[in-house]
Amino acid sequence: MARFRDTAIARIRAWSARRHGVDDLPVKIERRRIYIVPTWFGLMLTALLIAMLVAGLNYSSNLGIAFAFFMASTVLVAMHHCHRNLLGLTVDAKLEVDALAGADALFFFMLRNESAVDRRDVEVRLDTVVATRSVAIGCYEEVMLAVPVAHRGVSRWNQFELRTTYPFGWFRAWTYVQAPLTAFVAPAPGGNRPLPAVTAASGQAARSESRGEEDFAGLRSYTPGIPLKHMAWKTLARGGEAAVRVYSDLGARPEWLEWTSLEGLDTETRLSQLSRWIAESETGHQRPYGIRIPGVEIPPGRGPAHRWRCLRALACHGMPPT
Amino acid sequence: MKLAAPTATRVTYEQLRWMSACLVLALVVHATSLPVWLLATVAAAIAIRLALCARGYAAPSRALRIGVAVAAIAILFLQLHTFNGVAAGSALLSLVAGLKLFETESRRDLHVVALIVYFLCLAALLTSESFWLLAYLLTVSWLTSTTLLRLTHSPQANGWRRNARYAARIGAHALPLALVLWLFFPRFDGPLWRVPSGARGAETGLGDTMSPGDITDLALSDEIAFRVRFQGATPPAAERYWRGPVLHDFDGRTWGRSVAFRSTGPDLAPSGPGYDYVVSLEPNQHNWIFALDWPDRWNLSDAYLTSDGMLVRPALLSHPIDVSITSHTHVQPTAPLSDAMRRRDTRLPEQRNPRSRELAAQLRRAHPDDLGYVNAVLDIFRRQPFFYTLEPPPLGVNSIDEFLFDTRRGFCGHYASAFAALLRAAGIPTRVVTGYHGGTYNRFADYWILSQSDAHAWDEAWIEGRGWTRFDPTSAVAPGRVEPGLEGSLASGARLAGPWRRPLSWLSDARLQFDALRQLWRERILRFDQRSQERLLSSLGIPDPDGEKIAMVMGAGLALVFIWLTWQIRHEQRPDPKDPVLRAYGKLCRKLAAAGLARRPSEGAEDFARRVAIERPDLGARAGTLLRRYSRLRYGASRRPGAERWFIARVRAFKPRGILSAVKERGQG
Repeated sequence: MARFRDTAIARIRAWSARRHGVDDLPVKIERRRIYIVPTWFGLMLTALLIAMLVAGLNYSSNLGIAFAFFMASTVLVAMHHCHRNLLGLTVDAKLEVDALAGADALFFFMLRNESAVDRRDVEVRLDTVVATRSVAIGCYEEVMLAVPVAHRGVSRWNQFELRTTYPFGWFRAWTYVQAPLTAFVAPAPGGNRPLPAVTAASGQAARSESRGEEDFAGLRSYTPGIPLKHMAWKTLARGGEAAVRVYSDLGARPEWLEWTSLEGLDTETRLSQLSRWIAESETGHQRPYGIRIPGVEIPPGRGPAHRWRCLRALACHGMPPT
Repeated sequence: MKLAAPTATRVTYEQLRWMSACLVLALVVHATSLPVWLLATVAAAIAIRLALCARGYAAPSRALRIGVAVAAIAILFLQLHTFNGVAAGSALLSLVAGLKLFETESRRDLHVVALIVYFLCLAALLTSESFWLLAYLLTVSWLTSTTLLRLTHSPQANGWRRNARYAARIGAHALPLALVLWLFFPRFDGPLWRVPSGARGAETGLGDTMSPGDITDLALSDEIAFRVRFQGATPPAAERYWRGPVLHDFDGRTWGRSVAFRSTGPDLAPSGPGYDYVVSLEPNQHNWIFALDWPDRWNLSDAYLTSDGMLVRPALLSHPIDVSITSHTHVQPTAPLSDAMRRRDTRLPEQRNPRSRELAAQLRRAHPDDLGYVNAVLDIFRRQPFFYTLEPPPLGVNSIDEFLFDTRRGFCGHYASAFAALLRAAGIPTRVVTGYHGGTYNRFADYWILSQSDAHAWDEAWIEGRGWTRFDPTSAVAPGRVEPGLEGSLASGARLAGPWRRPLSWLSDARLQFDALRQLWRERILRFDQRSQERLLSSLGIPDPDGEKIAMVMGAGLALVFIWLTWQIRHEQRPDPKDPVLRAYGKLCRKLAAAGLARRPSEGAEDFARRVAIERPDLGARAGTLLRRYSRLRYGASRRPGAERWFIARVRAFKPRGILSAVKERGQG
């Protein structure tokens, strides 16, 4: 049964993909892409309604017949309303996201309701991950789906699904949005080798301890997270605002994280080590860093955007181009 | 006792409480037909589950639940011996619903309870014809649907009112569809299969015996016995005798009904005009049908005429039924009276009423011919001081003697009884007929109401050459001797002023109007059948309606309703075109489109603003501000007063300046 169901769902998905092609996000859900089937409760209720009608006819009870028909009509109208719950909803999604292997890829979706009726209980589904939202008249809702990703690489989903069983749970209406969702799954940090700069110039450690006035480049205002040893205590003591000393050499000496420095390890271990180095470089010291892996060289830089650029390069390593 | 697991589909106390309320409301209408222990079990199950849920506990353990369920269903089966039929089925369903609520853990369980509630509503309607019950049960199903709307996943800000409104709107959308289906769905005449009949109710109205004073009790009741609508002519008041039990056996005080045989053939040949009418009988737990003297044709296949002219059917009348009958007020006998019947209808108890026998013997000597004798007896009532009263003195075993010679005060039963006794004493076959006479005309809907106060008793005597002839000795009592308060009733043909002709005419008018509504409900709604469908089609201008045409009309009706529904739903969905902010936004988009920047249909205001900033940096700042302001007005949480007016004014003032210069620049570049 379950296998039959899975096959049927796969068929419908493939058919829907052929039928609609790839969607241009944001997409407005229109009539011909919404599918609807009764749920188990809908089927039970249908059986019940047939029983009601037969009972009403058997007892020649016009009131019984009227009630049975009223319920049957309610079911049909509920089907319309269930369909309508998705109709005209505008949906947008962030198509490419970055993630670390073993954690979750966070996909963001936007449901926008520009119509004059509330949308209740709209599920956004990607694989087995579901989030349910209601979107009030003229409002939008942001939906986050945390999809677990286990392995490094590029994970792709060709579509995601919007589904609803509102109002009464008797019908399930759904639509597939044919949008390629990509998660660039960077390797989880691993390995235990120290940063190359530390090993290459262990003698420099003493030098950085005896940082002189000649490296001092000026003051900038303090922001949380900067090591306390860079605080301009004298300025603070004079009653000035909290400031930190900026040294000219901190931005000058980039660190290269090299694929070639990890000879003798297999690919995934190397990538994990690089991922760890990137994490350490981002948090540990203030120098810009770049990576060199086969086919890709990312010039030195800093900050979250740079970090994810490097990690994406690691994720894409060895993956077929799209 | 384990704590309930906090899962996404677990029911909340509120949901459970409301579904319990719906179940209780649906059970209320079944309460009288359910065993008391069952009601107690269901109530206990609901109460325990609610109490547990309120304290955050899960449903009772599986073993306990199954044990209770098996035991309760087994007891129910031992008590009823069947689960077939409405009463037994409802009992089983009620029990299952209670047990289901007992074990309710997830929303799925509440969905099942909702289905049972819907079915309980229907089961109550199968055996009832009350408008109010229908209204009540529609309300219950509406509440149940509202509760189903509460079983949603995402939290809802303002709950019940909004859900109730939405459920009502779905119901309103369903009504036209239900109406078309109800009007045109094919109907069958008989039941598809036999079902056990329900519990027997109390007998009402005329019984099959008559003692002095019986009808007096009825006369004080304004309960309705039946209603009659004549199709075509209405017979004159003097002919409107509605024939009920015919009584033959007299013990000196009480008249009883002997076994009546099915009439073997047409003993009577109709003569005189025929009258067509429909009798709408109220349930009375008797098996006779009140028909105008003398019924000739009727549309009940299992009803038959007895040898003494009663229309009866095998089953007791436990549901309201409507019978279409044709009667002839005058008939001719086609065969002489059989000896057996003559013996039966001249029998008198030997030891009773000696003075009456003496009187009969005297009169018979003076009037040897039957008609002359009958008139002489009527003359006694006419000339001697007999009084017509609702409070006759009590009579003993020689009731005829006491009435004729001592009390001389009586009601129709006394007169009919004495008349029959005197005729039998003279050897004339006579029987007492009980039934209804007169009635109240409801001018608001053109039908007659026969209430218990119209109950009457009269006689039929066999006159050679004329057959059974009706005599109404009560009408021989002079109008001047009718007790105060009852005057006018005899003269007008209706014997007694019923509650329908009370002095407060506006009140009786209101009652008549209300009764007219009831009768219309019964005729138009409850008795709606294939003939009604055919009439409906004829009135729609479709000639020779048959099943096929009815089906076609239903198809067309359904198509129309579906189109209406689709339009209605789409119409609801469209944003209000009168919304000034929306209109201003439309204007802004048109202005930008004129400047060469058309908003794509799928593009939101924010996306559009970004694109404008990229494609037309010169407009980007101003247009972007307006577009983002619109987005905030529409989707933002809080709205400052005046923000809308500011936006509308700015849009009006907005001119995509430099269209020409931009084009020029592009041309040069």
